[in-house]
Amino acid sequence: MEAVLEVEGLRKNYGSLEALKGISFQVKPGEIFALIGPNGAGKTTALRIVATLLSASGGKVTFLGHDLKKEPEKFREKISYLPEEAGAYRNLKGIDYLKFMAKFYAHSEIKAQEFVERGKSIATLGPRLNEKAGTYSKGMIRKLLLARALMTRPDLAILDEPTSGLDVINALEVREIIKKFAGEGISVLLSSHNMLEIEFLSDRVALIDKGVILDSGTPQELKEKYRAGNLEEVFRSALR
Amino acid sequence: MKKFLNLLAKEIRELITLQLFISLLFTIFLFYFIGQMAKSEMKRAMRIQKIAVLDLDASLLSRQLTDSLRSANFQVEKVEDKSKEQAIEWTKASDINLLLVIPSGFGESLTTFDLKEMETYSFLRSFSLVGSRSSVILGSVISALNNYISDDFLKKKIPDFSPEKLKKPVRSKDFVIIKGRMAEGSAMSIAGFISTQSLFIPIILMMIIIYSSQMVISAIAMEKQNKTLETLLTVPISRTSIVTSKMLASGLVGLISAVIYMFGFRYYMSGFMADVRQAAASEGLARVIQELGLAPTANSYLILGVSLFLAILCALAMATILGVLAEDYRSAQSLIMPLIFLVMIPYFLSFFSDIKNLSLPVKLFLWAIPFSHPFLTTQNLLLENYTAVFGGILYMLVFFIVLIVIAARIFSTDKVLTMKLKFRRKKLLL
Repeated sequence: MEAVLEVEGLRKNYGSLEALKGISFQVKPGEIFALIGPNGAGKTTALRIVATLLSASGGKVTFLGHDLKKEPEKFREKISYLPEEAGAYRNLKGIDYLKFMAKFYAHSEIKAQEFVERGKSIATLGPRLNEKAGTYSKGMIRKLLLARALMTRPDLAILDEPTSGLDVINALEVREIIKKFAGEGISVLLSSHNMLEIEFLSDRVALIDKGVILDSGTPQELKEKYRAGNLEEVFRSALR
Repeated sequence: MKKFLNLLAKEIRELITLQLFISLLFTIFLFYFIGQMAKSEMKRAMRIQKIAVLDLDASLLSRQLTDSLRSANFQVEKVEDKSKEQAIEWTKASDINLLLVIPSGFGESLTTFDLKEMETYSFLRSFSLVGSRSSVILGSVISALNNYISDDFLKKKIPDFSPEKLKKPVRSKDFVIIKGRMAEGSAMSIAGFISTQSLFIPIILMMIIIYSSQMVISAIAMEKQNKTLETLLTVPISRTSIVTSKMLASGLVGLISAVIYMFGFRYYMSGFMADVRQAAASEGLARVIQELGLAPTANSYLILGVSLFLAILCALAMATILGVLAEDYRSAQSLIMPLIFLVMIPYFLSFFSDIKNLSLPVKLFLWAIPFSHPFLTTQNLLLENYTAVFGGILYMLVFFIVLIVIAARIFSTDKVLTMKLKFRRKKLLL
């Protein structure tokens, strides 16, 4: 199956600091691909480059045949990015936020309405959607943002620590939503340092540390390769 | 265009908050309240003033003096059968602020033209201008009386000669020339009238610039603080549109706020300025202004409008760049300071000094500040210095284009995020 996203030898320097030292990976259609690693490993930097927020110092990123460097606007039309520490506009009602975002992706009013309806069903916030986002809890904000990211059915959803800061119940709900949408054909590139979450969600994972991909494969393949019971043990073995 | 309008509508909705409404209403109320207070104080000052008069002379001249006071709008309270000390005590206990003591023999001394001194006692019960106004009026009355007495004396002594010519043998007729046009009038009163008329322009400009800039800096800082900027930068809309929509929304809301503030400010100023305008009109200055070609035309208003608009655009572009440096709303409030100083410097310099007389380095510094040009535009238009007017407009246009290119470039590259990275979270976000 042809890859939706291809990353080859991606490098990023912040002055003298090498955040990414030439990483390569692919994401296939409908696949959940995860970058896992500790804080400071380079996960967020990689996701931000693919999301067109940061420019790469080297390497190549192609998405559905488009070169990121030459056509970043083509990327933006077909991807959705959920940053780790994202927020919503405090003075906008949840429903207005969804409408505002839908209008950037929809070519008609009907399509925009369709996106908003889907967003409402993902967010499951009920009547609270008619209240200002400034009154929402962290879990509600995260659900609203996830709804925003998935309602347009992007070709690639880039999710940075999607359950960061959420309680168990909210985290479970968010994971279910991601799993459901990937099953419907959306490719997902996500990052997390929660190995159990990754094991539950991902089809394939890449272990990343200090800007280098140590290994990659399906969770099962990696567990067998490193003779480990879970991904945490896999990561520890891969680091040695 | 639809995407841009969508973004613009969001920006405006974000800026127009309940806090903004409350702050606007409160300021209007405050201006209105102070204006009304000033107005009533002024009215009080213009009202009939009370004066106590102890006439120890009871001559024809002292009666004439008392009548003059009445015609100068004084309510005369005669103090009868009291000594000077008793009269002072009596006035002190009353609500009258002025006591005039006409000494005994005052009228009689007129025959030798060696008049005895009158005494005035002012009871300063406050240090306001209103408090001292009655003594100023009294001074004018005594001066008029002096003129009357000396004219009368001279007429009697030299009947065939005009006392006016004798007292002021050297006379002058004042003419003002501006760019080849000449009119009879005093340069001081014309300059005073023009500066009164154009007083509002720098104030309006300063208010709009400060409000709009504060809004655009805060809008960007709030995007960063609320963690919405990253998401916005990944939606399919050009970065230039993001910058422009923020600037336009801030400019619009800033303009509306400034208009509302100015509305309140007019109330405030009307309390102080009413009699100044009246005086200007009564002096027939309008005719002189017209003769000198100093009356503003539709074209001059248009040029002034363009100059003001460009200054606002320059401020917004500068504020956008400063906004990128802000990490949150609080730091945005500090970042507005350099911009405020850049507006204040030409504002005060244009008020208190003549730009032409400044040294070259100071002049160059002033001209380099884009906000100096609209402050000088009114004066340059009236004096027909069109090179300075259009030079300033061209300079502001170039300045704005350079700034907007820099702002769009910052937003188009990862600098919009890495600037923050350098300041705070380099390691955390890796």
